[in-house]
Amino acid sequence: MAEGLNDNARPTDPVGRVLYSISRVLAIAGGVLLCIMALLTTLSVTGRSVLNLPVPGDFELVAIGTGLAVFSFLPWCQMNRGNVIVDFFMIAAPVRAKTVCDIVGGVFYLLIALLLTWRMIFGALDMYNYAEKSMTINFPRWTTFPPSILMLAFLVVVIAYTVGRSIAETRAGRFFSDTDEPGA
Amino acid sequence: MDGLTIGLIGFGVMLVLLVVRVPIGVAMLAVGVVGYVSIAGEVALFSYLKTETYWRFTAETLSVVPLFILMGQFAAKAGLSSALFAAANAWLGQFRGGIAMAAVGGCAGFGAITGSSLATAATMGQVALPELKRYNYSGALATGALAAGGTLGILIPPSVVLIIYAVMVEANVATLFQAAFIPGVLAALGYILAIAIVVRIFPEAGPAGPRTTFARKWQAILDIWPVLVIFLLVMGGIYIGIFTPTEGAGVGATGTFLIAVMRGGMKWKDFVDAILGTASTTAMIFLILLGASIFNAFLGFSQLPIFAADFFANSGLSPMVILIGMIVLYILLGLVMDSLSMILLTVPIFWPIVAGLDFPVQGEDLKLWFGIITLIVVEVGLITPPVGLNVFVINSMAKDVPMIETFKGVLPFFLSDAVRVVFIILFPTITLILPRLLETQ
Repeated sequence: MAEGLNDNARPTDPVGRVLYSISRVLAIAGGVLLCIMALLTTLSVTGRSVLNLPVPGDFELVAIGTGLAVFSFLPWCQMNRGNVIVDFFMIAAPVRAKTVCDIVGGVFYLLIALLLTWRMIFGALDMYNYAEKSMTINFPRWTTFPPSILMLAFLVVVIAYTVGRSIAETRAGRFFSDTDEPGA
Repeated sequence: MDGLTIGLIGFGVMLVLLVVRVPIGVAMLAVGVVGYVSIAGEVALFSYLKTETYWRFTAETLSVVPLFILMGQFAAKAGLSSALFAAANAWLGQFRGGIAMAAVGGCAGFGAITGSSLATAATMGQVALPELKRYNYSGALATGALAAGGTLGILIPPSVVLIIYAVMVEANVATLFQAAFIPGVLAALGYILAIAIVVRIFPEAGPAGPRTTFARKWQAILDIWPVLVIFLLVMGGIYIGIFTPTEGAGVGATGTFLIAVMRGGMKWKDFVDAILGTASTTAMIFLILLGASIFNAFLGFSQLPIFAADFFANSGLSPMVILIGMIVLYILLGLVMDSLSMILLTVPIFWPIVAGLDFPVQGEDLKLWFGIITLIVVEVGLITPPVGLNVFVINSMAKDVPMIETFKGVLPFFLSDAVRVVFIILFPTITLILPRLLETQ
């Protein structure tokens, strides 16, 4: 499984730097939220087994919290070329062929992210209008939609930037960092 | 055009997209969206997409995934890898090939508190490679043992890939973790045996290290108490049903965080490193999960899985032949693809086929047995050329060892995997006994 972090994908142009910083802060905030969810679970388990005081519906809160964290992680991953690709077939291809393919992949992702963002706005309205609540703790589900939609919209901006980066790389005939090769 | 044709075309288009470097999650999303529209129409798709992203990311069955990733990241910062290697080395180092065996043992220990192969290979590599070099181990054996040992991160529960499989076939995660335990331990023993055989044939590849006193041996075991505590607490708790996998992962993340701060000296910068690493991996996995859910909704509409299941059930081929065919396909796919994507791409088709065949095991047991076999064969891709990621990670750490040597060094471990798979296929009890024993309690 391809994972881990390419920390040297840091852009050097002004727009890229700003987007990079925002994605980083977002991801850290999401990570802290995830840690809080871990802590909440621990407290709940301890409360249940030691003090006989369960936190009811903690799993719902944890699911909603981790879900929000996942939205916050997407731009960071895209910024760092963190999404797995099958590199095998083009491993020996010239750099320009690879960057052109990356433009194509980026445009696909851009269109899909736009579609998902657009549809989620209607999802939020549905959740709000039908006052959907989680089963056990009656958590109003619409509340995490606005931040999630904002983060998806920011993802769209980041993807647009990475498509631009791929175009510039095609012009230059080289990758701006060596981190897009798995294992490099 | 009927659904089946559209389904087959969709599959073909997706493979083409993968060949031209489109990220796997994006390719699944693109084909899924277009395929969905062409069968069910855009009104249905637009309605489906209103909340699908939300439900996928907030699914209660999946919130365990980021938590286990976080736990693994903290574990890597906890300074446990050197203690684990030291403990294994105190016991095994004195034998011929013993330091490589200790590296495998350390990987097994680390695999018990993390669900990631790469992290296991990388953290153990940092500790063990200098020692292996100091005792003049051959580059092939040293790097091969660590690359293969890294796969124990996933083979020994907890394991993210196994969680995803469980969600897909609607199996119980805790039971699957139980089922994976004995095969995981066998994997570690099999690797140690492979090293023993290699050094018997090539004694100069792995000389024996110094003998240690018994006091030292037990002291080394005491030094790894945090690993034992975390494993017993998290996996023990999940195994005997004190808490759910999500709760176990939450407790584990908190526990490894505390150990990372107190023992590993984790500072704010390391903490940020750990959560940014978690962010990248989690986002990558969830994009693929979202893609797979839309792609599979489309496949479901196309009836392709049902057709495939019927086709193979009526093909007259023996179930074992079909199973072996699947394994061969997994090994081939593993040459070009990562394990998680392979599982998400194939299980929706393969599982209905397997479920429709007449295997000696049936029902829930079949889910466990097939799951463990699948887990092992998809992990083989991590150590096979040309894109064995563990091999790349370890090789990049051992600058003086040529890549070809590492791939040669992996060969004995590959054979060990092959033998183990045969045993697990022939004797389903290996997989099923622990879930049975724990169930009757």
